[in-house]
Amino acid sequence: MPLVAVEPGGFTIQVNKGEALAEAAWRQGYTWPTTCWGRAECMACAVVVIDGVDATIPPEPEETDAMNQRLSRYLRQPQSRLACRLKFSRDGAVVEKKGAHPPQDPTD
Amino acid sequence: MTIIDKIRTVDTSGVPFAMKDRLHVPRERYFDRGFFELEKERLWSRTWQMACRLEEIPEPNDFTEYEILDQSILVVRQQDGSIKAFFNACRHRATQLERGAGRLAGGKFVCPFHGWQWNADGTNRLVYGKTGFAPECLRPDDLKLRECRAETWGGIVWINMDPNAGPLRDALHPIAGKLDEVGIEHMRVKWWKEVILNANWKMAQEAFLEGYHVMQTHPQLTMGMGESYPADTGADYLVYENGHACFQRKDMGAGGFATVDQMLGFYNLLAQGMDAQILDRDIHVLETLRNNLKPGEDVMAASARVIREYNEATGIPMPAGAELKPLYWGGDAFVFPNVFFLPYYSNVLAYRIRPYNNDPEMCRFDVWSLTTYPESHPPVRAKLLGRFDKEDADRWGLIPRQDFSNIERQQRGLHTKGYEGHRLSTEWEGGIANMHFELDRLLSRE
Repeated sequence: MPLVAVEPGGFTIQVNKGEALAEAAWRQGYTWPTTCWGRAECMACAVVVIDGVDATIPPEPEETDAMNQRLSRYLRQPQSRLACRLKFSRDGAVVEKKGAHPPQDPTD
Repeated sequence: MTIIDKIRTVDTSGVPFAMKDRLHVPRERYFDRGFFELEKERLWSRTWQMACRLEEIPEPNDFTEYEILDQSILVVRQQDGSIKAFFNACRHRATQLERGAGRLAGGKFVCPFHGWQWNADGTNRLVYGKTGFAPECLRPDDLKLRECRAETWGGIVWINMDPNAGPLRDALHPIAGKLDEVGIEHMRVKWWKEVILNANWKMAQEAFLEGYHVMQTHPQLTMGMGESYPADTGADYLVYENGHACFQRKDMGAGGFATVDQMLGFYNLLAQGMDAQILDRDIHVLETLRNNLKPGEDVMAASARVIREYNEATGIPMPAGAELKPLYWGGDAFVFPNVFFLPYYSNVLAYRIRPYNNDPEMCRFDVWSLTTYPESHPPVRAKLLGRFDKEDADRWGLIPRQDFSNIERQQRGLHTKGYEGHRLSTEWEGGIANMHFELDRLLSRE
């Protein structure tokens, strides 16, 4: 089960094979920004993969098209991904996501 | 007193184009707009009906949409594995919350218009911009998704829009019990396709309430017998209360196959012509009988023996004594109002026929090939392969194409001047009359 590190929160999260990062977060009670809940619509869950890109599974056209249409070009970076579509083949990826935090975090 | 006579003790005289006897069906029942509207109000809105197969929504948060006439219902698997069904409209301004099939990631319905959110159990989670609404618009009970009755039987989710409806099993009596005996709850989808036909939903399904059409519609299945092929196809025709019916092998001993070759010849026609009921797996198993028939052993009994041996060796569940039930041998069970199960060995060919596009002369016809997998087989989410043209020979076997073709010709023929209505066989088409009598009983409800 791949382990993914999340910055700047400094926590790791377990993601099942075949499961998207945001879904793994929601399933385990983490807070992960969204307004569309996994429909690749709202772009609020977007992350930047800052390390371990080779542990990620490349995006399908649906994800790329959604980012092309709706992710502001000022926010988009070469390693931008949608957490509601981002899946992993193994440990080692590090993503940057502000506003994501584990359960029982007092700021929740 | 026959079942039909019992049903006739209900006064159905207020129903337009009512059934007057079991010999005739007025033609208007298949195209009249007023009759169709009455069906919408008193049949479809108040009757238990198949919404989806359980394996369409195997995991928590899986959902699928069931469409019937102008209603859309979302069937959702809950965290505890149970099922709920909701009318598919946002409580704000009616937007449909989902279309088709999918999964609620994070377990939330989200309205695509203004972002209102619900949990998978239908409770409201978020009203975006709540401060902009008067409190009376935000009462929690009013914001819950409107729930529809849902119960399960036979690997299927059944819904009923009438909150006061009786239990599902009462409505399915006694046909559900007969299907339980051949292991219907173990069946899973092998493939699933649909077709749109230019015919009333009842017209389309009546072709499957009798086997009388086999000689002329499916001549290949008579193995060259022509008109000497028995009009009863060797079947007993049975009708039941609640509109259900079935036909099944008349005699478990005779009427089978004289040789293994003859049996395999017929089964290959079914496997190739339909890819259902008899599957390649069965053909492989039954081929072993060529050198494995015991002296004096009946071919059909031997086939049941090797299928059971194969099932036991591979962990395919099969109820005790299933092979002693006539329905197990290519029978045909009709579950009122619109679902069919045609079992054969550990497989079933299943149909569902419903009105389409709010048009009395169109129907949407689902076809499933179901089979029983070993219990160790991982569950696979069932998905519709697609909607295929009725003449698409790459997608439909010869048998369904032959059926589809006659159904549309019947619907056209109804409008012909001088045609008043159907005349039914008392011996082989009683299931059709029985379905119409049950329909009239329901249409005459207050």
